[in-house]
Amino acid sequence: MSDTYGLIRYAQTKHLAFTEVAEGLEDGKFHFSAKDNLCADGFQARAGSAVLDGYSPPFDATCIGRMKGSGGQLVGKTTMDEFGFGTFSTNSAHGVPLNPFDRERSCGGSSGGAGAAACLIPGHIALGVSTGGSISGPASFCGVVGLTPTYGRVSRYGLIDYGNSLDKVGLLSRSASLVARHFRTMAGPDPKDPTSCAQPALAGKGRMPSSLAVPREALQNLDPSVRSSFQEALGKLKGMGMEVHEVSMGSLRFALPAYYILATSEASTNLARYCGMRFGRREEKFDQHFNDFFTGVRSEGFGDEAKRRILLGTFCRMVGFRSRYYLKSLAVRQLLIEEYRKVFRDHDAVVTPTMPFVSPRFEEIGRMKPLEMYGADVLTVPPNLTGMPHISVPCAYVAGLPVGMQMVADHWKELDLLEAASAWENVFEYRFPEVSL
Amino acid sequence: MKIGLEMHFQLPTRSKLFCSCPTAPAEPNHNVCPVCLGYPGSRPALNRKALEAGLSIARFLDCKIEERVWFSRKTYFYPDLPKNFQITQYESPLGTDGHFDLNGRRIGIWRVHLEEDPGRIKRVGRSGEEIAFVDYNRSGIPLVEIVTAPDLTSPEEARALIDQLVTELRSLCGLEAQDEQTVRVDANLSVGEERVEVKNVQGLRNLEKALRFEANRQSKLLAAGKKVVRETRRFDEERKVTTSAREKETEEDYGYIGEPDLGEFRIGEMARNLELKETPLARAKRLVASFGIGEATAKQLVLTSHSLTDLFEELCLHVPPERAVSWTTGPISGNWAVLQDQAKWPDIVRIVKDDSEGLINDTEAKRRILSLAGVQQEAAVEGGDGLGKLISDFIDEHPEVLADYRKNPKAANTVIGHVMKESKGRYSSREVVEGVRKELEKRV
Repeated sequence: MSDTYGLIRYAQTKHLAFTEVAEGLEDGKFHFSAKDNLCADGFQARAGSAVLDGYSPPFDATCIGRMKGSGGQLVGKTTMDEFGFGTFSTNSAHGVPLNPFDRERSCGGSSGGAGAAACLIPGHIALGVSTGGSISGPASFCGVVGLTPTYGRVSRYGLIDYGNSLDKVGLLSRSASLVARHFRTMAGPDPKDPTSCAQPALAGKGRMPSSLAVPREALQNLDPSVRSSFQEALGKLKGMGMEVHEVSMGSLRFALPAYYILATSEASTNLARYCGMRFGRREEKFDQHFNDFFTGVRSEGFGDEAKRRILLGTFCRMVGFRSRYYLKSLAVRQLLIEEYRKVFRDHDAVVTPTMPFVSPRFEEIGRMKPLEMYGADVLTVPPNLTGMPHISVPCAYVAGLPVGMQMVADHWKELDLLEAASAWENVFEYRFPEVSL
Repeated sequence: MKIGLEMHFQLPTRSKLFCSCPTAPAEPNHNVCPVCLGYPGSRPALNRKALEAGLSIARFLDCKIEERVWFSRKTYFYPDLPKNFQITQYESPLGTDGHFDLNGRRIGIWRVHLEEDPGRIKRVGRSGEEIAFVDYNRSGIPLVEIVTAPDLTSPEEARALIDQLVTELRSLCGLEAQDEQTVRVDANLSVGEERVEVKNVQGLRNLEKALRFEANRQSKLLAAGKKVVRETRRFDEERKVTTSAREKETEEDYGYIGEPDLGEFRIGEMARNLELKETPLARAKRLVASFGIGEATAKQLVLTSHSLTDLFEELCLHVPPERAVSWTTGPISGNWAVLQDQAKWPDIVRIVKDDSEGLINDTEAKRRILSLAGVQQEAAVEGGDGLGKLISDFIDEHPEVLADYRKNPKAANTVIGHVMKESKGRYSSREVVEGVRKELEKRV
């Protein structure tokens, strides 16, 4: 046990995976961490934002309550991009997590700390949250298994919102079986989140996918090393007895713009509440007009990316633009769901690389423009936009860095993905960095 | 003059619209929780009772009801609004295109929707040194907003509409009694072409004053050849004037988006299955039509109490409506506290029926009703008077008996016989004989 605690401290100090950790481990309990946008009694919940400094929620998120209820100890809160706004966890007010394989590189985002913790601590389960790829991305860059369940499968009560119609609580860990066990713990209806109440019950066991579809549109603009690693992985899948078919999914190209419009529209309303009045960052200049008071708190409390997304989202909701952007994006989401459904008539899962490249160096990220960064989500956004479950598993190592492979299944079929991920572990051996304490 | 109203009423639920905090009055900031304070991580869950109440109102107003509805976020920054957005209904109200009949005139109802109330700001201290306190007890209280077409033609009519609507809604879904005072109204008023919105007027009296002032102001402007500017104004309760709010926002500037946390609600079947109570004014109308009684009488009955009206309808099955009216509005309503006990109703019906069929006289019937009501003491006194009245009534109606009596005292027997028969042995023969003789002697 003390080794585990040492690793947790190591992940905190050397890799900035945690914003806060527990003072010690309790006997007889399994350890899990939560992304800092999940509320837990006894910890701050700041969601990577300075505007929430000092916010200690008086309640547990449903998913955390269920993990504790099944014998878990919450050992820490993991670092993240502010409110989930990012692909590399570089937009964080509480430390940028460093990749377990190379501290010069990103853990991915926005659940970067969760990815690092899952990788560095054996037997650890890290709760992450995905809006547009924030579980798959870090799983890919940190070389772990990351499950993003169907939208509405795990209660969002206690999750600090980014885009409510897109946010999903999921899990990252070194092994698919650990993810599967705790996924069962967290799933299920919760009256405190009405969107979780329409789900079908989980089956006893998943069905191993036998036919996989690879959309040719997803293979464009990939880093050559990722492309060839992925082709090799497809070969292994065939070796496992699965059929692999190339298909065309023309609407995939609309996913990224539609996602950024919907997500920022919702985010810009969610972030309206941060004004220094009731929780989080406080401001003492009470003699101002409330507008100036709010503006002062928000100008200082939010980072650049949060401001960018508030502006973008507010713009998309405004009169004259609302129908051109917001309402059209809602239609695109439906279109994309239809397109996936069509593929699922003949195939059990859609498989692609998770990220178009391996984890970049921080200096490269510093040179990227916002649109290039958004573009990195091109493969993770489609299943997130459609609310479909997906899992990312390591499928290759390029110059010592993990490459991720992502499988998407139809709504509510998480267990099928977990079957495939478990079987994959038998044909492909995962590597984890050696840590000397 | 054209007036349209947007009225906000609090729905009578025990808990708030999206959380389980109580709606009852309490110390400031006592009835609050993470949900109605908009704490990060909390989220709303809809109160079914509020939805039912809202749907009853939409159906009562004969609105068109869609199969599915959803909620929207109306985003604006204000200290009393915990999330800085209000959850309301925008594209998708509970009901549209309804109407309300106001004294025989049909007033269009554009929409009925649900929304959450913000908190309340209380300012304390001298002007310039004010301190503002915010009480979030009201945050999340369920409101129904009812929007009328600009079909009202005077401030008095606007007031009458709310007055009657409150009466109806009170019995339809238990709206609180004080709602005439607490109703919050935004009113649109135009005397000429351009309309002006008077926002956030509280209470019926203020509304009528605000509208009178505004109508007057616009008429004067037009008479002087000036133009009315399209704008939002506020009513100053102290000075009793409307002043320009200097706001130009239109609805769309609130940047509405769907509320993703609540999803869609299939309300069609729920709405169809609701059993609507008959409201007082609707019932009065039916009473006029089925029993031919006067409108004023019908309203008096239904506004006194629903159960009194039930008894009235029961009586109408056995006696002519005018008899039922005089009994229910007379001695029965006078002792309603006791007589509303339905166990006593069969007796009441029998007494009134016997009276109507002439088996007993009115006095006796009244005595029995009062006795049922437990006012026997007075009934005994009434009884004494009753004998005197029985005698004098008969003599009044039969002057020839008095004439006979002058010639032949035996004529008194006619009176005695009648009274004995009428009173069915209630008085001893000596009482009757003496009473009759006394009365006749007095008149001779």
